[in-house]
Amino acid sequence: MCGISGLLYKNDRKRGQSSIGADLTKMLDSMAHRGKDSSGFTIGGEDIPDDYIIRVWTEDEEHAKDVLARAEESVAKVGGVVNTKHAVGQFLRMTVNYEGEVPDLAAALLKTKGVEVHSIGESSEVIKDVGTATDMDHKHHLSKYRGTHGIGHVRMATESKVDITHAHPFWAYPFPDITVVHNGQLTNYHKLKRHLEDNGHHFQTHNDSEIISVFLADTLSKGATLEEALKESLTALDGTFTYLVSTRDGIGCAKDKWAAKPLVIMETEDTVAIASEEVALRRVFSEEINRVEPQENEVMVWSV
Amino acid sequence: MVSLDASKMTVTEVNQAIKTAAKKGEEITVLNPQAQHNIAVCVLEKCKIDIKGSVGYYSASLLDGPDVVIEGNAGWAMGENLMSGKITLKKDAGASVGASMRGGEIVIGGNAGARAGIAMKGGTMIVRGNTGFLTGFMMQKGNIIVCGDVGEAVGDSMYEGVIYVGGKIGSLGADAKVEVPSEGELISIWNELERNGITEKPRFKKVVSEKKFYHLDKLERMEKTVL
Repeated sequence: MCGISGLLYKNDRKRGQSSIGADLTKMLDSMAHRGKDSSGFTIGGEDIPDDYIIRVWTEDEEHAKDVLARAEESVAKVGGVVNTKHAVGQFLRMTVNYEGEVPDLAAALLKTKGVEVHSIGESSEVIKDVGTATDMDHKHHLSKYRGTHGIGHVRMATESKVDITHAHPFWAYPFPDITVVHNGQLTNYHKLKRHLEDNGHHFQTHNDSEIISVFLADTLSKGATLEEALKESLTALDGTFTYLVSTRDGIGCAKDKWAAKPLVIMETEDTVAIASEEVALRRVFSEEINRVEPQENEVMVWSV
Repeated sequence: MVSLDASKMTVTEVNQAIKTAAKKGEEITVLNPQAQHNIAVCVLEKCKIDIKGSVGYYSASLLDGPDVVIEGNAGWAMGENLMSGKITLKKDAGASVGASMRGGEIVIGGNAGARAGIAMKGGTMIVRGNTGFLTGFMMQKGNIIVCGDVGEAVGDSMYEGVIYVGGKIGSLGADAKVEVPSEGELISIWNELERNGITEKPRFKKVVSEKKFYHLDKLERMEKTVL
């Protein structure tokens, strides 16, 4: 069991009033009973003057400063200019001006000893850590992050290790801004992973959910729309799943053919809020409004 | 009359207060449920409970006797294991509504999710809207009346009981078949709907077990030889 949630603000009035980070924290906090191993967020649609937001992390607590300095050097080596940087312990957020190809930048970071890349995005970033959403808010100040949309996850681990590497969301290396949170288990993970690896894709973890983001990014890169990619995933993925994807332009959801994992959606003229349970939606909509529950084999997308 | 504000109490406190009031035969109102789970569970007295808003998973489950009205939506497995009494839900239900119910009545004003009435063992479930995938999966007794459409695999592996469908059938589940109900049956369903404030009169189709996989009351080969 895990809890997932998504949020999209439809207009500037709502964006001015509310913070995606703060609202997602409230939603995930209400679903703490669905998992307390780790929590994670994608904040999308951030307004930054630079080309990319890079999020990296190192497992090496003792030498964190040195490792993160090496990550910065790697960005510089491929021609990136680090304009802002902010480190919290083993985490580093950089905003970067970079005119080259993103796969080169991603590969340079990946080759840097001790560095793990959580995300590279034009306007989005992944923030993930062990502990609850509220713990994360205290440490990473999620309420500061505004943006236009985002997804979040609280994890009760089933398929792989409990650590930061295997926390959701999973970024589709090396495609900017494509991240996924997933509730469920995939049974054809190894087969599909081999197939995607044979086609040149790289996986950063041993978690089954990472394959969804890479699969979607691969399908999108071949010219599919987000809706088409989500539909294609319904037959490509085997197992139980309800997942949310965040891209540069919005969010989407997909539910498996067994309708085995929950999801409810509430939409007003300002906001789209999505969560595993209605109790999370009540944190952003206190009033009684109608909800939609996607059924089996259903996909939905929303753009900012 | 007892009024409980669920936003100012824990769910355990709400449930304890409901049980205490139910024993005294008082009418109970629950305010601000905010879609929390397990509200109004395991109430074994005849009483009236009015929940002013949406509830979460397993709400109004393990009931034997109460008349519950929920003025909102419900999460997964609302009304699970209902023995007797009535649950009226004004809006939509999540998946597995009325799972394993054995008696009583569940009336849903909106739609229900996947696996409505899974393993149902008695009673009646009325859905004014549509239901999802695997409606009446493995049901063993009782009636499900869906005024709208049902999803894929309706009545999959059902043993006994009937699923009446007013709208379209997505597909039939394994060992399920469609029959045409008699005029008398239709009239009695329409009356039942009318008693619950539903005035539509769809020409229901009837989904029952084809009983090709049904071996529960058949004798084993060894038993036959003994006889």
